[in-house]
Amino acid sequence: MSGVRERAAGEPGVVGAFEASLDRAVDEVFSTMLGVACAPATSELRIDGSQISAVIGLAGALSGSLVLRTSGAAAMRMAERMMGIAPPEVDSMVHDAVGEVCNMVAGAWKGFDSTLASGCLLSTPTVVAGTSYELFSQRAPIRIDRSYGFDDRTFAITLSCELDA
Amino acid sequence: MSGITVLIVDDSSVMRKIVERALRQAGLDLTKVLEAGSGREGLEALGRERADLIVSDINMPGMDGLEFLRQIQSQGLAQGAPVVMITTESGEEHVREALAAGAQGYIRKPFTPDQVRERVLPLLVSA
Repeated sequence: MSGVRERAAGEPGVVGAFEASLDRAVDEVFSTMLGVACAPATSELRIDGSQISAVIGLAGALSGSLVLRTSGAAAMRMAERMMGIAPPEVDSMVHDAVGEVCNMVAGAWKGFDSTLASGCLLSTPTVVAGTSYELFSQRAPIRIDRSYGFDDRTFAITLSCELDA
Repeated sequence: MSGITVLIVDDSSVMRKIVERALRQAGLDLTKVLEAGSGREGLEALGRERADLIVSDINMPGMDGLEFLRQIQSQGLAQGAPVVMITTESGEEHVREALAAGAQGYIRKPFTPDQVRERVLPLLVSA
């Protein structure tokens, strides 16, 4: 994918291209940094109990957010895969690991588009954990919800954004 | 490559450990690893101790990696040590900006141990 500006924001091709590059970014991050394959999941993510969300803000050529949402168990597995040590509980290291995964996915995703690679800036990750919360974002013309699976665990990524006018 | 003191600057403690592991996998015999969670902490660490290699993230709260890079150049804190930026930012402008600020190498996250080896080892040989 190159030059997202060549397409109109509302054009279905933009969403399809963003989805494809998101799948590619997730697989690249997991295969390279976690040593495990990660592919889109057929079922939607369901979390009972505590969940963890990592948020990366997007600004510049495109504004919005990329949110990674997962269960405590899947977050612990991500941290274990990254560090080579199983965390005893969902602690600050697990939060840090989930934030970094989200950060790398956002960076790899925008890196697949020549315009976004230089023109879209990423915030540092913010991680939220708990049993009952909801993340709100401005209504965005482009919204992509994808679920992914690795090691029999699942997580979801939501990309909400609009191209700069 | 033995007897290396490295300074790793990243606001993520997980990423600092991953970078350390990647450097060891690349064949570096790290005798000392200095860790800093921000550019400010990185400057303080270099004020106390010389490093043979400096590896820094760019996107950090507080003093970011580019400002850290400019500060160590202007204050002479690198003392000849090569500086490698490891970051999610992959745009050519970011690379040019980092190199202009004094970085000798640039690695994009996610990275493989081979990429670390290819980008870092030549810098230590020529330093």
